[in-house]
Amino acid sequence: MKILSLSGFVPEQICDTVRFTGYTGGRSISHYCGYAADYISQVLNDASVDGAVFPKSCDSARIIKSYLGNTDKFVFQLPVPARRDEAAANYFAGEIKAYKEAVEKHYGIEISDITERTEAVNERNKEIKKLYENLEDFSYSDYLRGIHKMLTLPLAEQSLPEPKRASTDGKRVYLVGSFLTSDGILDTLENSGLNVVGDNLPESGRLVSAAPCKIDGNIYKNISESILSARLSPTQNNFGEILERDIAEIREKKVGGVIFLTQKYCEPYDYLYSVYEKRLRAEGIRSLKISLSNSDDYKKSELAIEAFSDMI
Amino acid sequence: MAQSVIKLQSSLMREYYKYFSKYARGKSPEKKVAWVTAFTPVEILEALGILYYYPESYAAVIAASEREQPLLEKSEQCFLCRDCCSYSCCIEGCLEFDDGPRGTPPKPDILIATNNQCNTLPNWWNILAERYGVPLIVIDYPGETVPRERAYEYVTVQHKDLIAKLEELSGNKLDESVLEQYIENSKESVFRWKKVAEALPKKEIKPTVLFDDISYLITARCNPDTAELYKAVCEEVNALPEADKNLIPLFWLGYPLWYHPERYLSECLDGFRICGSNYITWWSLDYSGKDVYEKLFSAYNYTFLNLSQETRTERLTKLIKASGAVCAVTLHNKSCKCDFVSAKDIGIPQAELEIDMIDRSFLSLEKARKQIDLLKETVCTQ
Repeated sequence: MKILSLSGFVPEQICDTVRFTGYTGGRSISHYCGYAADYISQVLNDASVDGAVFPKSCDSARIIKSYLGNTDKFVFQLPVPARRDEAAANYFAGEIKAYKEAVEKHYGIEISDITERTEAVNERNKEIKKLYENLEDFSYSDYLRGIHKMLTLPLAEQSLPEPKRASTDGKRVYLVGSFLTSDGILDTLENSGLNVVGDNLPESGRLVSAAPCKIDGNIYKNISESILSARLSPTQNNFGEILERDIAEIREKKVGGVIFLTQKYCEPYDYLYSVYEKRLRAEGIRSLKISLSNSDDYKKSELAIEAFSDMI
Repeated sequence: MAQSVIKLQSSLMREYYKYFSKYARGKSPEKKVAWVTAFTPVEILEALGILYYYPESYAAVIAASEREQPLLEKSEQCFLCRDCCSYSCCIEGCLEFDDGPRGTPPKPDILIATNNQCNTLPNWWNILAERYGVPLIVIDYPGETVPRERAYEYVTVQHKDLIAKLEELSGNKLDESVLEQYIENSKESVFRWKKVAEALPKKEIKPTVLFDDISYLITARCNPDTAELYKAVCEEVNALPEADKNLIPLFWLGYPLWYHPERYLSECLDGFRICGSNYITWWSLDYSGKDVYEKLFSAYNYTFLNLSQETRTERLTKLIKASGAVCAVTLHNKSCKCDFVSAKDIGIPQAELEIDMIDRSFLSLEKARKQIDLLKETVCTQ
């Protein structure tokens, strides 16, 4: 079983999935997120992948199923609530349960280790959180690549080695964006003398912000509440809360600049940037927006990052 | 009869635009104001005496008035990426300039967005919420992704929550019988509109009429005058000559081009007649159900763009068959990521054009003409 998952909303407590970390795919759809297009390519072309789970969270993700409709592979679209109230938590719990049942049906298996997996996810997140809280001491590229590698492994094999130590004289920056598949950009940041001291990426700052999942009671509701407790994605429609939490962290960490990484045609982040930029300007903090074309695009941003480093 | 159509249209438009800054002369509405997306359950707002405005529709008006370009540029200067939905870019520019062909809509007391057509609109409404500092309610419609019973429960909780919040805002208490009446009005508007739309394959109608007249179903579907208007329009269109059967019947799959004087590429369609369009069916909502909650759920959870690919293919295929179309112009719209993929299995030759429904600079007319010529050749040699 090798299910390729696209999003941090996919509950790792249910079963092992392989997190999508980039693919040089052949599919290009105009006006459509290159990250989602590469995901579609991998699901369709990579014979080792036998399933796909992805959210209904943005317009590109919304229509992934239209492209995957004719495959025999396992395909599940997880509806992520656009709200965070009690009704949303109950609704999401129901969908997590439906996901579990769909996996069982498709693969002819019985999933009976959700509690154990939940404990393991809690432990793992605790380890990442420890690193995140001391992020400025570590090489950010080493830290994030470690997480990426870990998320492609079965939960039982996941462990995060301590990242290399960072030089402490880098300029302090904060990273905003979706899952950072184009990780070559991390070397560019470090080579330009930038030290990432915080982020709100789904695989890092947002992941560690989720409350540990409770074990007692309705496990699906617990998983739902834990996922929904994390710092928000712009697809969850509360830009105000994102701004408040990010700006508080940016202030606390005395950040000199913010790098905003978006995928071309990723509207949630494009909309968020329009208000984020204004707020940063009001705070006297410079920002750089980098728009990436697909899941392995980073080279064109080198000059922009170097210039930004000089500016701050 | 023509007078009656014009009178009804004028009256509905006067009513809708009376508080826009150009006409209000500084007078603010006495009622609370909501800005809503195109598939919001406005029957609830009507029943609670809340005025509502549709920024998307106003963007279409702006483009039709040839005013969109400076507004799109302005929004880009304000860091809103031009890749985003042009409805939003156009309105952001309008709000930055505090100007538009009819001025600006009255400022909102509340913002209501739904995700039953796309996930972009709630994002756009978020930046409006930042601009105005007013509450934002997002109604989450699962569509066909989840079974009906679970979706009904989730949506109904949200509808009830919306009612409670709007009661608080307006100071009015919902009378369910009043809500029921507004739903009935919407049903009647839909019924009458369907009769108008049915004439398109049969009569010599310019689709411009339908692309423009559907705006009342969007902005005033609960108003009984809308059904009256469509009754009158229906009489008019049925009195038109029969469609010219020598022309190639073509399906227009996607949005009207709001900036175009005729809303479609008339200059490229010699030898064709548009006999069908999916856009004109999008607001033909199905208000079926045992009570007001089920009716609202049926109507707003199962909007066309909230359906599965299978159901969309099935509906489109049926629609195309009924129209008699033998080919289609499919619009790959920069501003609407969810629509064009609906056409992936419709089984007739298509010319897929890269367009934007607001930004005229997006279209390469020469390229479109070549694609449509190729389509004609394909159809004629089949």
